[in-house]
Amino acid sequence: MNTPFLKRLWQGFERTRVGRSIFRVGLPQSNLERSQAMVSSFLLHVQPAKVNRHSLRASYSLGLGLVSLYLFLILIGTGVLLMFYYVPSTERAYNVMKDLQFVVSAGLVLRNMHRWAAHLMVLFVVLHLCRVYYTGAYKRPREFNWVIGVGLFLLTLGLSFTGYLLPWDQLAFWAITVGTSIAGYAPVLGPKLKYLLLGGNVVGQEALIRFYALHVIVLPAVAGLAVAVHLWRVRKDGGLSRPDEPADLVQQVELSQLPVNKTYGLMELARGRTPQVDQNPEDQVFSWPHLVFRELLLFLLVTAMVLFLAIFWNAPLEELANPIHPPNPAKAPWYFLGLQELVSYSAFWGGVVVPGLLVLALVLLPYLDRGRRGVGRWFARERAVANSVFSLCLLVAVVLTLIGSLFRGPNWGWVEPWKSTPAITEEH
Amino acid sequence: MNSPTSPRSDEVSRRGFVQLTLGWLAGTFALAASAAAAVRFLVPNVLFEPSLRFKLGKPDDYPDGSVSFLEDERVFLVRKGNTFRCLSAVCTHLGCTVNRADHGYHCPCHGSVFDEQGVVKSGPAPRALEWFLVALSKDNRLLVDKSQRVNADKYLVL
Ligand code: HEM
Ligand code: FES
Repeated sequence: MNTPFLKRLWQGFERTRVGRSIFRVGLPQSNLERSQAMVSSFLLHVQPAKVNRHSLRASYSLGLGLVSLYLFLILIGTGVLLMFYYVPSTERAYNVMKDLQFVVSAGLVLRNMHRWAAHLMVLFVVLHLCRVYYTGAYKRPREFNWVIGVGLFLLTLGLSFTGYLLPWDQLAFWAITVGTSIAGYAPVLGPKLKYLLLGGNVVGQEALIRFYALHVIVLPAVAGLAVAVHLWRVRKDGGLSRPDEPADLVQQVELSQLPVNKTYGLMELARGRTPQVDQNPEDQVFSWPHLVFRELLLFLLVTAMVLFLAIFWNAPLEELANPIHPPNPAKAPWYFLGLQELVSYSAFWGGVVVPGLLVLALVLLPYLDRGRRGVGRWFARERAVANSVFSLCLLVAVVLTLIGSLFRGPNWGWVEPWKSTPAITEEH
Repeated sequence: MNSPTSPRSDEVSRRGFVQLTLGWLAGTFALAASAAAAVRFLVPNVLFEPSLRFKLGKPDDYPDGSVSFLEDERVFLVRKGNTFRCLSAVCTHLGCTVNRADHGYHCPCHGSVFDEQGVVKSGPAPRALEWFLVALSKDNRLLVDKSQRVNADKYLVL
């Protein structure tokens, strides 16, 4: 057997005293060691030692949740590096952006990576939500994980929105002016909420530092915690949804059912079914290497994709923020343009009522749609009605976003993108 | 929830009940008070924003029939004959700065159109642009107070 050189080197290291103190189980050779490798490592033990083949199928999950997770990690990495230069001051923030572009080594690429990863994360979180919906994966016992997912979706939007102000350019200033004014339309608490968000009445230094604090610590910390709970629950809910799985995972154990004079092992109390219970062992494969390898490969692909975008396309930076002249048209980032289009009809209905109802519907969905049929398959025929309703909403959202992005010109007037846009006239 | 005295049954003694109630009340109160204090902490007491009252030039700096845009204050000063009025340039929809157009004002953000009186002619703006109080100072300069709204038909007459 000719083992590759690197592998031999690694195994040599593992057998030293230091090596063994770090890795309790070396590169696994047997199935026993494959299980031990998963259980004994801090990073790997979140995952089961064996997974169902169905869960590994790329055509089922499309890996969209994992891609979201990886983008989140890339955002943390690049974001922490950017923090070493960024100053949340209206006088200096814009200059820092210029420095990153022209002075700091690799500054441009890092800023680009952070920006493109943020856009991609919004995109992939939405795609992941769609996947979960179309496969009916939000049904029992995963209702609450879906709710956590909705929270993560909102947190992702919140992270993008707060990050948007930080470059302090024209785009930033006016997108936040418009966005926080929408918050002001919320009934009863609206104006107070706006005042609290901005730390005053206008977008200025106080608003910048508030958005900064939210963007670099409050929201990432909450989102990080929520992601951890989300992943933990994927495991506790019995792994990914499958067509043939039992609906009830947890049997209730009454204290009185247990014999009295006995010390209990955790196994007897936590009766949750692990993915192994009631399953055909033929369907199970070892996580090491099947799952771990796929995860690493996907991570590599996602990083490569972000790096590729960051090297060839620069993140936009407009002129310095000017509180007097909004750019014409003043547009929000693309994922808010559907909302902005709605808001151009009515700020209260389009900015508060419609999005509010949509979020409420998403949260309640798993508790209202309780049928157990068609789980674990894409576009199951039993879910034709549910899928059609969702597709219609999705279509409306996409069309509104397209209109807002492409068909709106100066004064939010209708333009046809294939014709050249009329020149923007300054009227003062 | 087990009471302190009888760990294995659901019964709660009277003392246990009082202790429990007081404990929960104290805990809830402490949490609520901390949350209220944290929110209050975040509401600023002093604003470092431009003053809402400001002085402009002499009345004659603004020619008859003119509509002058004052950048820093985001208002238009409107003079007709010997009357002066001051119109807010902040769109009532979502706060963009409106532009002067031929017969009124246009908002670039979502296309609201206002007439000369600031009244909405089309677009999503829910209310007319606001008019502010104009006065004359002792040293013959115009004074505007953005904290005082007035009706469109209120003028400063010189
Ligand atoms: C920061 C955003 C998110 C991250 C990092 C994330 C991560 C993940 C990961 C890694 C999985 C494992 C399966 C897969 O890769 O598809 C998963 C599953 C799941 N996610 Fe998310 N997710 C996020 C947002 C959401 C959203 C917005 C929803 C829905 C509203 C959601 C609902 C679910 C549900 C119900 C499952 C279980 C699916 C199944 O068992 O088939 N997640 N998530
Ligand atoms: S802010 Fe003026 S129309 Fe929306």
